[in-house]
Amino acid sequence: MLKIKGLHATVGGKAILKGLDLEVKAGAVHAIMGPNGSGKSTLSYVLAGREGYAVTEGSATYQGADLLAMAPEVRAREGVFLAFQYPVEIPGVSNKYFLKAAYNAQRKHRGEPEMDAGAFLKFIKEKAKLVEMDPSFLNRSVNEGFSGGEKKRNEILQLAVLEPKLALLDETDSGLDIDALKIVANGINKLRHPARAVVLVTHYQRLLDYIVPDFVHVLSGGRIVKSGGKELALQLEKEGYGWIEDQSGTARVTV
Amino acid sequence: MTATLSAAPAFMAGMAEAYAAVPEGPQWLAAARAAALASFETQGAPTSRREDWRFTPIEAIASISYRCAGRPERRGAGAGKALCPLAFHQIVLENGRLSRERSVLSGLPKGVTVQGMAEALADSPDALRAFLEKVPKGLPFAALAAGLFRDGVFIRLGRGVRLDRPIHILESSAPDASRGPAMAHLRSLIVLEPGAEAEVVEESLGEPGAPFWSNALIEVELGENSGLKHYRLQREAHEGVRSLATLVRVGRHARYESHVFTLGGALVRKDLRVTLDGEGAHCVLNGLSLQHGREIVDHHTLVSHEAIGGTTRQLYKAVLDEKSRFVFDGLIAVRPGAQKTDAQVYNRNLLLSEDASVNTNPEFKIYADDVSCKHGGTIGQLSPEALFYLRSRGIGEGEARRLLVYAFGSEMVERVKLEPLRVALAAALRARMPEAAEAA
Repeated sequence: MLKIKGLHATVGGKAILKGLDLEVKAGAVHAIMGPNGSGKSTLSYVLAGREGYAVTEGSATYQGADLLAMAPEVRAREGVFLAFQYPVEIPGVSNKYFLKAAYNAQRKHRGEPEMDAGAFLKFIKEKAKLVEMDPSFLNRSVNEGFSGGEKKRNEILQLAVLEPKLALLDETDSGLDIDALKIVANGINKLRHPARAVVLVTHYQRLLDYIVPDFVHVLSGGRIVKSGGKELALQLEKEGYGWIEDQSGTARVTV
Repeated sequence: MTATLSAAPAFMAGMAEAYAAVPEGPQWLAAARAAALASFETQGAPTSRREDWRFTPIEAIASISYRCAGRPERRGAGAGKALCPLAFHQIVLENGRLSRERSVLSGLPKGVTVQGMAEALADSPDALRAFLEKVPKGLPFAALAAGLFRDGVFIRLGRGVRLDRPIHILESSAPDASRGPAMAHLRSLIVLEPGAEAEVVEESLGEPGAPFWSNALIEVELGENSGLKHYRLQREAHEGVRSLATLVRVGRHARYESHVFTLGGALVRKDLRVTLDGEGAHCVLNGLSLQHGREIVDHHTLVSHEAIGGTTRQLYKAVLDEKSRFVFDGLIAVRPGAQKTDAQVYNRNLLLSEDASVNTNPEFKIYADDVSCKHGGTIGQLSPEALFYLRSRGIGEGEARRLLVYAFGSEMVERVKLEPLRVALAAALRARMPEAAEAA
């Protein structure tokens, strides 16, 4: 589904990704772990198409097409979804309206008829249950005044509504207490599907207690330096990232 | 009695003619007109050297020789283009003069007067004397209007009267037979006696074809416990100019609520002065300006808290595209003795172009010590984070921009409680989405 080859990217002229390789197949859950500054968020933003992230070398192919050549909205309509580490507040735009605009943009892209307001309201109320969100949040402005946990839940609600093929979750566990973490993880687990791939970007192993990955990769110095199964995450939790960096020959980063 | 108007900028050329054409009236009115023109003479036409006109180039007025507007060349100009729904009581002015055939004033409840000002002066001049004898201070164009007006609107609600439906004042301006630059000066008066309640929608609508300058002075007098919701919609043609001074006196526990929507015009200058001179007087001042091209909109507001326990809530917003300019000067003065004043003044601006500009100055002058006063002004652009967030969910760039601009403006539309008007304004806001928002 997603094939990244030798990806180099700079932010503000500074090289962050330095030859990253990764292959993700449908149905799999991958976890990308790494210390602060290793390029985790940059990878997420490059894949979602954020401005200011320049790809200088390498490629990313999504379902056989050049992902990097697509506008962000086209990537989204084609089924790529990024759950933000810091979801953005948008005063004056209701959550309901936002979700409907996003959902219908996707349907239109697929040549399907748009869903009317009544049917959509029913549809999202069902989805809101999945993340245990009070329906009143649907009428509020997007993320405005939401707590950290509510924002993350709102990301998962969007994920549930848009049903992407490739879900990238950037530090979805950060800032969540244990109850919120369970709710969010549960929401993600319910969306696991043979046709859907999930990439969890995370600093800590904690989230992986609730969402068990098929593969774990360690990102360091802008490259994937080690890959393995879920046991790799436990090793990282116990021993930190230091040994990986020493082994890979990159500068040691304290975490 | 005569007043002499010395020639200065081009626009002064038509003034003597306008003065000569002023209808006959009672002696006191002639004296008031002369005094108003003398006040204008003393001040002179505004220039950028005046502190309160510093950011507002008035070339659109000063460089053009306007003459008094005749009747519109095309009958029913602007008909069908009003934003305000038709189901209201309606009084229509065309090029500054009452149009009887287009006004719909049958069925007004008892105790309500709605008339053209010329007609009201003919019917009962003495009732108007106390108001029309006053000459507004420090407002040169308002002084001109007081000197040169031919007509306007007079609304009066008797004690405790509540209107069944809002009153819609439609001021349309359109090219006259000369098709040259034309002007109209108007003077209006709204009086609510104690306990009366009304909603008034004042809509100014310009037809393109020739420069039109509409210059108006409106006074509002609110008696004890009365309430006025004053909606003001403004859409001049692209070469249209509007200068408008509104002077409001709010009595004890009375409520004045103003919603100003500015949706077009080469130059729009609005002076709004509210005096809260009774205990517990309350005012809400909302404004939204949507601008493009080289449009200039200037709001000077002055709220004067003169009695104990007054409240002010002011929020003006502007969306600026291309080379447009917005000026906001919002002063709240808290006079000695106006303790327990609770006042807020905010101005928020959204720039969609690097060539657009804003001068904002929300300000307080406080001469009392037990008050709560807050103010703030912001100038910002569309948030790149918000744009990316929307696009990352599949919403196209153009649509994402429109969504954000609409969200910024809709806050002011949502404050309009008159439902049919709110719906019309939401549609107007959508229709006037700036060009830059189309970039996709």
